Amino acid sequence: MDQAATDLRKTEDQRPGPGRTKPVLELRNLVTQLPGEDGPLTIVNDVSLKVLAGETLSVVGESGSGKTMTFLSAIGLVPKPGRVVAGEVLLDGADLLKLTPDEMRETRGTGISMVFQDPLTGLNPVFTIGEQIAEVLRAHGSVSRTEARETAIGLLERVHIPDPGRRVDDYPHQLSGGMRQRVLIAMAIALEPRVLIADEPTTALDVTVQAQVLELLAELRQDFGMAMVLITHDLGLVARHADRVAVMYGGRVVEYGSAEAVFEHTAHPYTVSLFESVPSLDAETSDDLRTIEGQPPDPASLPAGCAFEPRCFFGQGREECKTILPKRATASMADHRTACHFYAELDTKRSCA
Amino acid sequence: MSQIEAVSTQNASMRDPEAARRRRRAAIRRYTGHPAFVIGTLILAAMFIVAAGAQWIAPNSPVQTNMALILAEPSWTYPLGTDQFGRCVLSRLIHGAQISLQVGFWVVLISLTFGTLIGAVAGFVGGWMERIIVALIDTMLAFPGFLLALALVAAQGSSLTSVITAVAIAYTPRVATVMRSVVLTIRPRPFIEASRAIGLSSTRILLSHVIPNALPPVIVVATVSAATAILAEAGLSFLGLGVQPPTPTWGSVIADGQTVITNRPLISLAAGMCIAITVIGLNLLGDGLRDTLDPQMRRQTGAKML
Amino acid sequence: MTVEAHGTNGAETLLQISGLTKVFGGKGWLPGARRPSVHAVDNVNLNIKRGETLGIVGETGSGKSTLGRLVLRLLDPTKGRIAFEGLDITGISGGRMRQLRSDMQMVFQDPYGSLDPRMKVGAIVAEPMHVHGTEHSSIASRTADILHRVGLAPAMADRYPHEFSGGQRQRIGIARAIALDPKLLILDEPVSALDVSVQAQILNLLRDIQRQSGVAYMFIAHELAVVRHISDRIAVMYLGRIVELAHRDRLYAAPRHPYTASLLSAVPIPDLKAERQRKRIALHGEIGSATALPSGCRFHPRCFKARLVAEKGGVATSTLPSGLALPARCIDTDPTLVESASGDHVACHFPLEPDDTAT
Repeated sequence: MDQAATDLRKTEDQRPGPGRTKPVLELRNLVTQLPGEDGPLTIVNDVSLKVLAGETLSVVGESGSGKTMTFLSAIGLVPKPGRVVAGEVLLDGADLLKLTPDEMRETRGTGISMVFQDPLTGLNPVFTIGEQIAEVLRAHGSVSRTEARETAIGLLERVHIPDPGRRVDDYPHQLSGGMRQRVLIAMAIALEPRVLIADEPTTALDVTVQAQVLELLAELRQDFGMAMVLITHDLGLVARHADRVAVMYGGRVVEYGSAEAVFEHTAHPYTVSLFESVPSLDAETSDDLRTIEGQPPDPASLPAGCAFEPRCFFGQGREECKTILPKRATASMADHRTACHFYAELDTKRSCA
Repeated sequence: MSQIEAVSTQNASMRDPEAARRRRRAAIRRYTGHPAFVIGTLILAAMFIVAAGAQWIAPNSPVQTNMALILAEPSWTYPLGTDQFGRCVLSRLIHGAQISLQVGFWVVLISLTFGTLIGAVAGFVGGWMERIIVALIDTMLAFPGFLLALALVAAQGSSLTSVITAVAIAYTPRVATVMRSVVLTIRPRPFIEASRAIGLSSTRILLSHVIPNALPPVIVVATVSAATAILAEAGLSFLGLGVQPPTPTWGSVIADGQTVITNRPLISLAAGMCIAITVIGLNLLGDGLRDTLDPQMRRQTGAKML
Repeated sequence: MTVEAHGTNGAETLLQISGLTKVFGGKGWLPGARRPSVHAVDNVNLNIKRGETLGIVGETGSGKSTLGRLVLRLLDPTKGRIAFEGLDITGISGGRMRQLRSDMQMVFQDPYGSLDPRMKVGAIVAEPMHVHGTEHSSIASRTADILHRVGLAPAMADRYPHEFSGGQRQRIGIARAIALDPKLLILDEPVSALDVSVQAQILNLLRDIQRQSGVAYMFIAHELAVVRHISDRIAVMYLGRIVELAHRDRLYAAPRHPYTASLLSAVPIPDLKAERQRKRIALHGEIGSATALPSGCRFHPRCFKARLVAEKGGVATSTLPSGLALPARCIDTDPTLVESASGDHVACHFPLEPDDTAT
């Protein structure tokens, strides 16, 4: 009894549990569709996620898994003709999907903002970086020109751009890729949003620069008490930065839980396969890598059952997997959820292996 | 043989003849589902039929003057009335379609052929060759196309051939400019470097990779420039520098009608409508081709279409 | 003894590069319009044995992709010599080089851009055979055979590249490259644009092809884990130079160049506990520009080891304009690539010792 209580407290101390902090951003049963030739394609399918204050949620998945589209839906930027058809996006309890376009624009920046993958296309080449940061500030309130410039310099300093007083007048092409990404981050945090969504923020950058940019994001998250969503395909980054992890496949969240739960008590065959297909930096062996056979699912022809079934090393061919859509079940610990019929067997199989 | 049959199962659907049929049907649907393409094609097909069958369709002779029937009101025998020489306006317009379509066709063929080659060589070879070609093109582009054609016709004397040559020469640099800029975007693409890596010669790369990929936008430009060519021919005829009377052309009908425009506006108006409809048809076709020609665009347009 | 341990003497050398240099720019079209010159590849020496995989790693601007293109003569070197099977290919004519390309092929990074969108897959794979005079009657069956080898159904020959996923397109690119059974394949970031699960499929495929045909690979990439997985030896490039060239396991277990160590420590590993306990070597700044190369060792402005050596004392130091004191040798003298007893190479005045990595 006592033992169990201390254990529980220990895990709560390590990772803030749901009871301790209220979610800043919560997606509930979000569904986003694109019109297709034979009826609508469901790109985001019944996604529910929570992002807690001061935490980083990592969203992992392959291209086409719906990870980016989920958060574009959340901030009202789904590319036309796609649209959110169901669900709720709660920012501090208020549903963003009910806002008018003007209110939504106001919320982007102050409530929630996003940093994208490509640091070059995110900046307008004909304006200085100072002007572009100032534009963000002035779009959300009357700030004078000089005030905006001062704030811009402060923000550049905040993201560790050397010599910000001079750099503020630079044009994007005068900066390196890493510096541009810092400028985009400065723009995203200019209005101190509650949630920062970073979509593959370092994919276009070199590893050494990647490390620097992510350290910066972690630092900002702590200083501002922001919640962060890190969308990535790099499991190494997830291991380093995530408090909580959501694994997406075929538009759905297939596994969700604390980083510890997902890494140490993996409860979905897709997650297992992902881990095993990554070459290791320190393995002495160089056997063939485990691969996930076949191709990612086509949103135009999703199976009735589990979308991963045709590629699954575990459930492939099983009648249940083919015909019944797996429900989210609680796996190793509270708040660790998996969408697999046979996750229990998976756990024992893995510990045997 | 057994090796070939032992294909990976993951893509079984690709061998399916049903899938091939479905793809073919999708390709047809891509064209038929594009309203601009369909309307443009229909307009041009109608124009072509009218021009080709002019001598059977036209109710009267286009050149036969009838001094007893000058400026007649529209009637069953003369649906659009007659002009100041008593010629049937409708018949003149129907026969005029022949000239307009011929000019359009030949100008496109000539300027497309030469413009494509000149532009492709300039864009792909680069260096001093490109600089010389660009300088020449720029010099020609400095004159408004119509003015250039006007000067050339004035120098050559007016006949159908000289109108076609003049307009083609005036519009070739335009096609070449577009071709060159498209080639410049294709040259750095990785598949060009890839073809070099497998050992292709520059000529072969130009002919089998660069030009086929650059053609779609150029064909679109060519279609639209057919419209400009038809307008230019009409303009030259209107000024009396085009095909010589009494051969009917749309431009000369407008010119003839212009003198009586206050009491018989229908004459010029009808000829103007012919030109306008043909030009709109060509522009719609150009739009349609732009959206449907590029295989990379296919999927996107499929989603975009209503 | 040292000669025995050399390792490179065992197998026959396929490709030998010496003093290879490529300078971009430097002269403009008009007199006076001089553009800054960039030493993209600067005095590089290396060799590749038959059937071997040499990995080349480096960041953007390290010159690794330029190196691959120089070997294939897609770019002409400014200086230096490239010998393929003993034949100097730096001076030979364009036509002769095109013939040699049947022995040296390339797979490109971008699986979308490197295939002609207007050609069917069968024609793409068959094209090198047409160019290099394969008998026409056998091309169709060979195409089918090659598609099968890379895991694609021969029936797919009839489709266009845009109908395929990224991984499948990279298979097509590989099929085109192996169509003529080359002896050397230059792989320029072949899996960088792919998802992890697909990346694993392609890496395994490349392994299989090498086992079957004995082709040698020059594997250029920036993902260190991937390079380790596939390579026998690895060269690390920094601003146009090879700074370390070593056997794979030794390079990863005990890097000797401070840059290699920094690079390795920057890569996060997908293991929760290990990753959170790891110490990082902070790299100062970003890779410089090759237009304004630092004096002496190119890495000195970012080097942690140089700082440590200067702090520890015992060597002559110079002070940079920024006020930082570094060993004088690092600032003044360009280190050369020196071979160690194990046959590995490092270009550093103060290479890391095994105990250095612990700190």
